[in-house]
Amino acid sequence: MQHRRFVLLGLGGVIALIVAMTLVGLDQNLTYYLYPTEAVDRRAEFPDGERFRLAGIVVEGTLQRGEIHRFEVSDGGATIPVRLHNNPPPLFDEGVPVLLDGSWSGAVFDASEALIRHSENYEIPDRGGTGPGS
Amino acid sequence: MTRARAFLGIAALALAVGLWMAMTAPPDALQGVFSRIINVHVPSLWLAFLAFAVTAIGSVMWLWSKRPRWDRLAMASAEVGVLFTAIGLVTGMIWGQRVWGTAWDWGDPRLTTTAVMFFVYLGYLALRGAIDDPVVRARRSAILGAVAVVQVPLVYFSVYMFRTLHQIPSIRPDGSTMPREMLMAMLVNVAAFTILYVALVMARMEVAAAEESASDAEAMAGAVVRPPRLSEVGDV
Repeated sequence: MQHRRFVLLGLGGVIALIVAMTLVGLDQNLTYYLYPTEAVDRRAEFPDGERFRLAGIVVEGTLQRGEIHRFEVSDGGATIPVRLHNNPPPLFDEGVPVLLDGSWSGAVFDASEALIRHSENYEIPDRGGTGPGS
Repeated sequence: MTRARAFLGIAALALAVGLWMAMTAPPDALQGVFSRIINVHVPSLWLAFLAFAVTAIGSVMWLWSKRPRWDRLAMASAEVGVLFTAIGLVTGMIWGQRVWGTAWDWGDPRLTTTAVMFFVYLGYLALRGAIDDPVVRARRSAILGAVAVVQVPLVYFSVYMFRTLHQIPSIRPDGSTMPREMLMAMLVNVAAFTILYVALVMARMEVAAAEESASDAEAMAGAVVRPPRLSEVGDV
């Protein structure tokens, strides 16, 4: 009887721990990424070279591909110039939401990696729709 | 023909229709043909959620009634659920590698909670494998099965509760963000996978029932019926 109670408590404790860790840990200091407006607001928390992730949409008309890709990301609020030092995934383009891994370097964000943050929207070519980059 | 076989036949037909619809649905403007994998990825994980919910129901019903059938249901459903969680994870990784640019990202809450759920239910199966006594086995798995189901809403709502890389659902109660043709293909596949789920659980329960009555018969008839095991025979 005693033993079973321990097992039950242990099991319940483990599950509760998993849920708690997920809810708390993922939300606070381990923030997955920042939007440009937040990144600018919290500039002091992230000195040059301190890595974090930046999520935004590649601003139309700002993309220059090359050895180092240059573009701007925005969330409708702040706009941040980016230097991307590796090749992005195939779907990378203007108007596409991206997740960048890197750090501040003055007023520019130096990114080592870009992922595409695909939205929930689907669209048939030449038909229009809700758009892939919402 | 057993009921399970009949359902498997219907499931095969439904899956064939689903496959045809998936392959003839238009590709996405951004993703191209890679969008079609959603017709396996989403139905698989829907099936996993359903399966783990049924495991929870079976677990609670066993705890209440102690009838072995509920325990068999919980077990069979968990097995199918684990299989389809794996299929969902793999198809997700294939898609992610192409669209996101990475097959996995440990920072993403949807991915991590799904992975944890997978391992917890794998643990459920391992737990069952480790206990010989059927009543003790049923009781301990029932407790785990009833508690672990909390992960299902956690996984599903993670994309709303946290910042994620994984997008929110494209099919929601308030509407969908998919063109009609893609939506139809997806819904047909969800239905086909549901029939498949029923068929697989039925088949697994039939096997489990047969195994149990075989071992019961052994116990009743005594050692006379059982052929001697090599370890028991001395010098032949």
